[in-house]
Amino acid sequence: MNIFLLLTISIAFGIGTFLILRRDIIKMIIGIVILCHSVHMMIVAMGAFDGIKAPIIEGSPDKGSGIIFQDSLSDGILAPVVPHTTEVLHMDPLVQALVLTAIVINLAITAFLLILAYRIYEEYGTMDADELRRLRG
Amino acid sequence: MDQSVAIILAIFLPFIFAILVPYVEKIFKHRIGWYASFTALLTFILIATAAPSIIAGKTIQYSVKWLPSVGVDFGIYVDGLSLLIAFLASGIAIMIMAYSNEYMSHKEDLAAYYKYILLFMGSMIGMVFSANTIQLFIFWELTSITSFLLIGYWKHKPQSVYGAKKSLILSSGCGGLVMFVGFLLLRSITGTFDIPTIISDPSMINTIQGHELFVITLVFIFIGAAAKSAQGPFYIWLPNAMEAPTPVSAFLHSATMVKAGLYLVARVHPIFSGTEAWLILVAGTGMITMIGAGFLALRQTDIKGLLAYSTISQLAYIMTMYGYTTYQEPGIGVAAATFHLLNHATFKATLFLMVGIVAHEAATRDIRKLGGLRREMPLTFIIATIGALAMAGVPPLNGFLSKEMFYESSVMMGNNLGAPYTFIIPAVAVLGGVLTFAYSIKIIDGIFLGKRQDDHLPKKIHDPSAIMLAPTAALAFLVVLFGVFPSIPVNLIIEPAVAGILLDTVSLNVKLWHGLTPELFMTVITFVLGILLYTKYDDIARWQDRFNVRHPGISINYYYDKIVGNATYNAGRFSGKFQVGPIKYYIIPILLLAILSILVPVTLLSLEMFPVTLNFEIPPYELIVFLLIIITALLAAILPSYLPAVIAVSAMGFLVGIVFIFLLAPDLAITQILVETLTTIIFVLVIAKVPQTFKENITKRILLRDILISVTVASTVFIIMLYASQGIIPPFESVSHYFLEKSVLLTGGHNVVNVILVDFRSFDTLGEIAVIFLAALGVYNLIHSRGERK
Repeated sequence: MNIFLLLTISIAFGIGTFLILRRDIIKMIIGIVILCHSVHMMIVAMGAFDGIKAPIIEGSPDKGSGIIFQDSLSDGILAPVVPHTTEVLHMDPLVQALVLTAIVINLAITAFLLILAYRIYEEYGTMDADELRRLRG
Repeated sequence: MDQSVAIILAIFLPFIFAILVPYVEKIFKHRIGWYASFTALLTFILIATAAPSIIAGKTIQYSVKWLPSVGVDFGIYVDGLSLLIAFLASGIAIMIMAYSNEYMSHKEDLAAYYKYILLFMGSMIGMVFSANTIQLFIFWELTSITSFLLIGYWKHKPQSVYGAKKSLILSSGCGGLVMFVGFLLLRSITGTFDIPTIISDPSMINTIQGHELFVITLVFIFIGAAAKSAQGPFYIWLPNAMEAPTPVSAFLHSATMVKAGLYLVARVHPIFSGTEAWLILVAGTGMITMIGAGFLALRQTDIKGLLAYSTISQLAYIMTMYGYTTYQEPGIGVAAATFHLLNHATFKATLFLMVGIVAHEAATRDIRKLGGLRREMPLTFIIATIGALAMAGVPPLNGFLSKEMFYESSVMMGNNLGAPYTFIIPAVAVLGGVLTFAYSIKIIDGIFLGKRQDDHLPKKIHDPSAIMLAPTAALAFLVVLFGVFPSIPVNLIIEPAVAGILLDTVSLNVKLWHGLTPELFMTVITFVLGILLYTKYDDIARWQDRFNVRHPGISINYYYDKIVGNATYNAGRFSGKFQVGPIKYYIIPILLLAILSILVPVTLLSLEMFPVTLNFEIPPYELIVFLLIIITALLAAILPSYLPAVIAVSAMGFLVGIVFIFLLAPDLAITQILVETLTTIIFVLVIAKVPQTFKENITKRILLRDILISVTVASTVFIIMLYASQGIIPPFESVSHYFLEKSVLLTGGHNVVNVILVDFRSFDTLGEIAVIFLAALGVYNLIHSRGERK
């Protein structure tokens, strides 16, 4: 895997973590969004290796498609995801399907959280999670 | 009707009728007590159908498979002993619930009251008929729970709640669970939970008595019995249980539930008796409790409190008698104990119901405020005198007979042990009798004799209506009947019960006049000393009060309160420390734990796999996108105003879409860009309505801490991904093979991701749609609820 992508994902994850530790509710939500982005990238990256194709099959089924995952590591340990191999044709489609679902669900959650934040502000006049706690007593 | 069917019906009928109580209450209103009383009567009749064959010397056994994998059946075992307790439970319940019709105010939650009592009655009957220890334990704990509910019946009174908790902690927590361990030990010795199998097999009993775990098993089971019957240090819960409505105290806490411990002692009597451990443990605990509780009873000013201590003391009599044992004759006191068990249930229930009447009419239970009521309440006075004199052991009442038997068995026990016990054991027994005599007289004297205290009492006091008087009088009648014609109860129920314990046919000869025996002299001594003690009654009570004030530490209650109070306080402090409130304090431990549980094993297991082959080649356009992602994420974090921060985070979202293109995921890229557009719109809509910024004062310490956490989390993610991408973790076979192979073949779809979503895993997509739908509903309701508040 590309080291720069890896670094980017990790840094984004760190920034997201920093944000969900804040008292400001909007910043927390932004933090959750950033965390989700990095998790999505992480999962997709797990199924990605250099020099392979998108999981879209071209042509007829009997030609070219078929066996795609083969262990090429000499020590006999299989990778959890598709390793480097000469026969690889496609990216792992499953992780992509997973993440596609995750992205949509993430939208639902973000929308809900935002409306919740908005209603909290309307009811209590604050965006401070600590202050909210005090108000509740 | 088949007898075993009748018994099983008798167990479950109260439960079924208890469930129906709330519905029946709608029809019967405040007369629901008659329904409950009728249920008890029905149960009593069902149990009575089993009586003839038990009296004839048989037992009834029946079982159905319940938990065959652990060798537990649902079984019933009916012998004289279980029949006796079941008769007490259902018979006294009839009177108690009839009495409650008048006693309980119509404003109370009557449905709950009768429901709990019926549930208790069913549990008690279920317990005594249980053929195995597991079933016995379950019903045993059910009686504890129903007792808890009834003591805490007046939920608004803190004293009730305190008493209820105390009874549950001590009788169920400290007693029941320990007893359960005892049962498991017994099972490990014998290999069975079945009680009749164990007690009917002499060779098995020999094995148990010779086993190295014998003493510890006995101690554990006895602790359960002692806690239930308020013996030894466990006595402290019973006085506090007096917060329950008085009929409940009469029923549970004097006549039946506290007898459960004695029942257990009698039930395991064949297994453990005839050993020194049994004598020391059971009789020893009984004697100490008998004297201690009798002594403490003297200072009680609440009549119910006095009766509670006298109950403890009387139960201790019975315990002591069950404890009397020698190698040759394992059951010296069994007959006396069983007879006293019945007698105590009758006279103590009479006394409790009498106290209920007095409290109902005179509006106080304080013995200092009562007095001189004999003219106003002549009938109650007669009943009280019968009950109290029976407890004091005055002929010709039933208490006299069983007390004589107590003395007789004490003398026998003393003779068997030899000097100095020949003197000590009878002396202790007499001392117990003297104390009982004194406080029994106090009940009569304090309430009905002496001067009327007009300051404290209502102007007009009179005997209660027949509804309360009749059940009390019926019990008092039994007290006299059993005293004058002892052969009736003895032949009908005591002999079968004793036979059930000793596993042998017995013939008892109980008569009012049985010649000039040592025990008769002991009774005379008891009366003389009792009258002498009564003259010093108030001095002793005052001395006890002074002692209590001076030495608050010499009291079991003091330590109970300290332990329970400290436990509550420390639990509160502990959870207060971990559940501080702000979400971030929950997130931090979760993150740290995740890091520890992932990073450490990964590092330890795969240290040698490092270093890995890393790919540093990257096209410049990819590098730019990655850098932009980091920059936008950073901006989203540090920009103070919401709008710029939201713009930054949505820019990041679009860049993530581009990354998906690099990762050869075109579907994801499209979805991400569409979703990001929508997210941005919602973000902007919301932040337009709230203040544009929020200044959080981040101290250096918090900043440092949060950055440290974030960096740790980021490095963990980095390392995990690094390892994962090197293929460290042994995989399962990927299901992706299948999808790629079959996609075109089965569905005709060439885009495998799409095929998975709408075809192979379409139920997942349905779930996803459900999530969106729920979120939309939530959003709608949140916005909608705004109107209602304002």
